[in-house]
Amino acid sequence: MSDGAAGRGRPIHGHRTLRRLAVKVPQYVLIVLVAASANFALPRLMRGDPVLVLLGEDAGRLPPEAIAKEKEDLGLDRPLVVQYGRYLSGLVEGDLGYSFRHRRPVSTLLRERLPWTILLVGSALLVSTLLGVALAALAVWRRGRRRDVASLAVCTFLESTPPFWIGLLLLIWFGANLNWLPLFGSVSVDRSTGLERVGDILLHLVLPGATLVLSSVGATFLLARASLLGVVRDDYVLVARAKGLRERTIAFRHALPAASLPIATSVLLRVGALAGGAVIVERVFSYRGVGTLLLEASFGRDYPVLQGGLFVLTLLVVGVNLLGDLLYPRLDPRVRR
Amino acid sequence: MRRRHRSGRNLAVAGGVVLVLFGLLAVFGSDIAPYDAGERAGRPFLEPSRAHPLGTDDVGHDILSELIGGARVSLMIGLAAAAIAVVAGGLLGVVAGFRRGAVDAALMRTVDFALVVPTIPLLIVVASYLERGMRSQVVVVAVLLWAEPARIVRSQVLSVRERTHVLAARTFGARGPYLVRRHIVPAVAPLLIAQFVRVVSIAILFEVALSFVGLGDPVRRSWGSMIQFATDRGAFLTGAWKWWIVPPGLCVAVVVCSFAFVGMGIEERVDRRLARGAAG
Repeated sequence: MSDGAAGRGRPIHGHRTLRRLAVKVPQYVLIVLVAASANFALPRLMRGDPVLVLLGEDAGRLPPEAIAKEKEDLGLDRPLVVQYGRYLSGLVEGDLGYSFRHRRPVSTLLRERLPWTILLVGSALLVSTLLGVALAALAVWRRGRRRDVASLAVCTFLESTPPFWIGLLLLIWFGANLNWLPLFGSVSVDRSTGLERVGDILLHLVLPGATLVLSSVGATFLLARASLLGVVRDDYVLVARAKGLRERTIAFRHALPAASLPIATSVLLRVGALAGGAVIVERVFSYRGVGTLLLEASFGRDYPVLQGGLFVLTLLVVGVNLLGDLLYPRLDPRVRR
Repeated sequence: MRRRHRSGRNLAVAGGVVLVLFGLLAVFGSDIAPYDAGERAGRPFLEPSRAHPLGTDDVGHDILSELIGGARVSLMIGLAAAAIAVVAGGLLGVVAGFRRGAVDAALMRTVDFALVVPTIPLLIVVASYLERGMRSQVVVVAVLLWAEPARIVRSQVLSVRERTHVLAARTFGARGPYLVRRHIVPAVAPLLIAQFVRVVSIAILFEVALSFVGLGDPVRRSWGSMIQFATDRGAFLTGAWKWWIVPPGLCVAVVVCSFAFVGMGIEERVDRRLARGAAG
């Protein structure tokens, strides 16, 4: 990334990106390490047989000699430091443990489910950002006291509404009553291929996606509106107005581009909240993402899946945060100082 | 500008009135409700009628009475969790901001962590390890919400401790505990109140989500577990969702929204006061 800035003859920005990296990366590495260590510590702090806590309660149905063997493999008789070292080195190799409930490695399970969650969260993030920014531009363009208060009230109300409840209502209305859209799942069971399958996946995406968009667009709107209002007071907007440009042109051609990039990055920073909402919304629609997997694991007390899922979601959110941190100064020249 | 404030204040006042009403409902709910929430008041799956304005559920509980009982459970969990989170976060923030150094650094890294980790998945994982019940729900929600108040209080403490009157007190020989009691706490108290109101609304939403996925109190029904029961009993396939799923969700939205409005009103006031304090 720094090469690009250097290529444009501004090497100093490259250095700043590097310096920013040098500050941010260790912070995020530390966060990931804390998450991993919490995963290590939590089951060992619990009461009850540590083997069952580490393997999940379904492991209790294994024959005793199998449990004894697992105990040995886990090294529960070794000192904690050794256990911790082995745990970390396993983690680096992508070893998140084994689910006796699913009879498969946790990493395989997650690899299957993660793309669905990324698809759901990613598309919702994209749509709610575009929609929120467009609405904010409209709101700033035709400003009025009463309208401001109304939009603030509506956005706060949307943010205050439980996402899963919005999802349920959409499901009842568009799925059950009107029969327009599929009620559950992320793809139909019949193995259609090619374009048909893509269409099927998109159809299944509409309701859960719309739920997440509805519950997050209010926050994006308020953020974008504040950021646009900040820009509107800038000198070049005054100049544009002095040139006699129409308000609409000013809002969409001048103010919006200046304000939209910082908006986009700060929206990236909110991906954690959206991923959290997605977990619950996935359950409403039985969407086959990490959220459904986590909730099933919670009921079966399948602790390896629970911890692996949380760890991977944390990695994802940290990754996106890092991306946002790195993009921010590149997109918004004003914070490069 | 002044007009803008007034309309913001209208929202805050409206929110306050709604909260008082729901507060009364939570306190005197058992006297107001037509039936006992756990009593089999009629045949199962009754449609709304004069005897049961919101019908009955799958075992014949009166849904309106359950809704009124849910107000107490949801509000109590939200308020208790927020109180713990704000007091603990505020305390940590004061200590970190006042002592600086290693304590501060360690605490702020923890805050970074708590702010980045996806909260609802963490909520689910921690709740799965604990016994289900109201107390663990309060603890889990509080554990997830202390970070933001801690961060905000810390930065306020950092600014207050450098103000001239605090420095003056120091030169007269004032020590830590006295400074904290006399100067720091009064300066952060209004911020804490604003934070409390804001955290309550998040805590209620968390409680509702937790109960909806079945990790709530198995005995006492909150608004979240009402929605969970209704969906599990297929309320959305019949017409029953209109009086079984819609009212509890609407109650949550209205209460959380009212807390948010009140919080905004308080914040606006606090901001103005703090701005004045910084100037003087």
